[in-house]
Amino acid sequence: MGQTGSLNPLTSRAEVAARRPVWIRWGVFIVIALLGLAVRLPQLDVRPMHTDEAVNAYIVGQLLSGQSFNYEAKDRHGPALAALALPLAKMQGAKSFSDLTESELRLTDVVAGAITILLFGAGVEMFGFAPCVIAALLFAFAPLPVYYDRYFIHESLFAAATFGFILAGWRACVKRSPLQSALAGACAALMLACKETAILHFFALAAAALVFWFWNLRGKRRGGVRLREVPIAAAVFLLFSVALFTWFGSNWNAISGLMHAGPSLLARAGGEGHEKPFWYFAKLLTGGWSGGLISALACIGLILTVKQRDDSPFGFLGWYAVLVAVIYSLIPYKTPWLALNFWLPIALFAGLTITWLWSLPSRYRAVRVPMRIVCVGLGAVAAVLIAHDTRERVFTHPADERNPYAYAHTSDDLLGLAPEIAVLARQDGLASPRIAVIASDPWPLPWYLRHYGQVGFWQPGQKVGPADFYITSTDAADQYSAQLKDLRPEFFGARPGVLILLWEPAPK
Amino acid sequence: MMNTLSKKSGVLVVLLAASAAFAQDKVVLKTQLPPPLFVGTPVPLNVPNLEPPIKGKRPDFYVPAGTINLAKNKKVASSDSNPDTGTLDMINDGDKDGNEGSWVELGPGKQWVQIDLAKDANIYAVLIWHFHSQARVYRDVVVQVSDDATFKSGVTTIFNSDFHNELGLGAGKDLSYIETYQGKLIDAKGVKGRYVRLYSNGNTANKLNHYIEVEVWGKPAA
Repeated sequence: MGQTGSLNPLTSRAEVAARRPVWIRWGVFIVIALLGLAVRLPQLDVRPMHTDEAVNAYIVGQLLSGQSFNYEAKDRHGPALAALALPLAKMQGAKSFSDLTESELRLTDVVAGAITILLFGAGVEMFGFAPCVIAALLFAFAPLPVYYDRYFIHESLFAAATFGFILAGWRACVKRSPLQSALAGACAALMLACKETAILHFFALAAAALVFWFWNLRGKRRGGVRLREVPIAAAVFLLFSVALFTWFGSNWNAISGLMHAGPSLLARAGGEGHEKPFWYFAKLLTGGWSGGLISALACIGLILTVKQRDDSPFGFLGWYAVLVAVIYSLIPYKTPWLALNFWLPIALFAGLTITWLWSLPSRYRAVRVPMRIVCVGLGAVAAVLIAHDTRERVFTHPADERNPYAYAHTSDDLLGLAPEIAVLARQDGLASPRIAVIASDPWPLPWYLRHYGQVGFWQPGQKVGPADFYITSTDAADQYSAQLKDLRPEFFGARPGVLILLWEPAPK
Repeated sequence: MMNTLSKKSGVLVVLLAASAAFAQDKVVLKTQLPPPLFVGTPVPLNVPNLEPPIKGKRPDFYVPAGTINLAKNKKVASSDSNPDTGTLDMINDGDKDGNEGSWVELGPGKQWVQIDLAKDANIYAVLIWHFHSQARVYRDVVVQVSDDATFKSGVTTIFNSDFHNELGLGAGKDLSYIETYQGKLIDAKGVKGRYVRLYSNGNTANKLNHYIEVEVWGKPAA
């Protein structure tokens, strides 16, 4: 960029990055990734399994039993998460659904989060060393990425794939590299195989590239559009997508399902009970002790980048961030984990702003020392705020309904259900109790009852056979009063405001 | 024919009950209810062993004339003297609103609160609002009355839903219930005592214990 007062501290990131020994660069990012792992790994099994995690776990259980992945646009996302979780679970000795543990499954997202942190090392030539180091540190320790990198859903892997796609795509354009094109195609396929919302990101990335081309690069340098690389990326994208969705050729119906996924996705985008106001994500990202500071830093970097028509990759990233934020905010369907999509630009722009603030004193030598002291002090305060939020939201109250990341979360109380049945079964001398679950939405009970061999699930109104224990939703029980008349109900909290009943032998 | 007879006898029973109440100089217990904050969770209606939910307003509960809320602004003690949220005096300050800022949050697991009525009283009803902004059940709710502040002697249990005797106070046979804005009314049957102690053991949303308000309706003992 090279303008006076420019936000970007580096005139040519590629040159500076090239001067820095590769082993130093990667050494730094490997250390940060290891720190990120150290934060993500403890107490992985403590938080109850969210319904979505339980569904994903069940899918992995099906794969462990030899079934193939059946793509269903209505109820499931793509197969990428299961494809990564399956080998990890096998490596840890799981052979069936009942063998699986929370830690084994959540390790998949921990690995995806660590990969994202490492990818900042690959982003140095694009965004500069210092901004990438700061972004990697933020990603490693900030509460939102740490929380959802310990959550067995698709978001962490999706974020990693998105970052990979941006990095490989940019390199393919700049270096005219067929390998990078193929990598970009593979990352795009991985994005789609994570979540169908990849389409929104493809749109945002394409639109951002166009705006960047016509607005930020206008009157400045202009390279040619490398169309030669596009067919390679497209071919790899198709190949990987087909391989993943058909579960490596075993279920070709998935292609038809994917082609007809539109209505289901549109219905989901409409809300389906998850409608939130436009400002939901803004409120979520600015919440807690550290959210406001991180968001403010990111906004400063973003605004100055857009204002200065920055022709560096930050200019492109800025438009992408704006478009993704607008798209996700306009769609009524909102869940907190979708905010992880904003965290790539947030971390990088916050890193850019901090780098800029740090470099300011060099222009004003008289105040260099005091300004640097202020910068260090601010950094220390930010570290304390982030540490507080991460501790509170990730470790101390991970499933508390007041934790904004714990959305429609399974209550801690439900953890007592299976042990209670075990105690009662032991008292009654039942080695393998028969458990009948009657509820229109029984999740996440299949996860918590996975160790019992005789568990059946019925919809309210269906005829249910004799069982030793009944578990019903609160609205289903009165249809089965004859079967339940000699049993005493005990309430368990499934989710905030949602109760289920365990029917156990009444006191004599 | 049978229906008509049944209706007539029902009316007769109500009239007799009302007459009996008035004959003993009884009046309807009138407490101020907070606004409801959630639409009730669907609850089975005709199932044995489950407390039926209140449809609309709770049926009138009669207490002797002159009965007042003895608990208001009286001294409160607790097994958790340093609540995570709120202060113990919120338990009997008259504020029954279900929103944040109106409840006191005690620590996880088994906890109790105790209200000192200042002098012996005949207690006819205890009304409890643990939490009513969502459908929730508080576990092992036990309410005791005693004239001994340490509850080592003279203890009368007026409610006990501790089915598994988790609290060690004896297994209870009262039914668990879903919290609502109408609170839980416990018939204390005129039991005499100065101290009212309320136990709970977490709830179906988390392991914490909450109180929005407790009312103890009675008359100072003669």
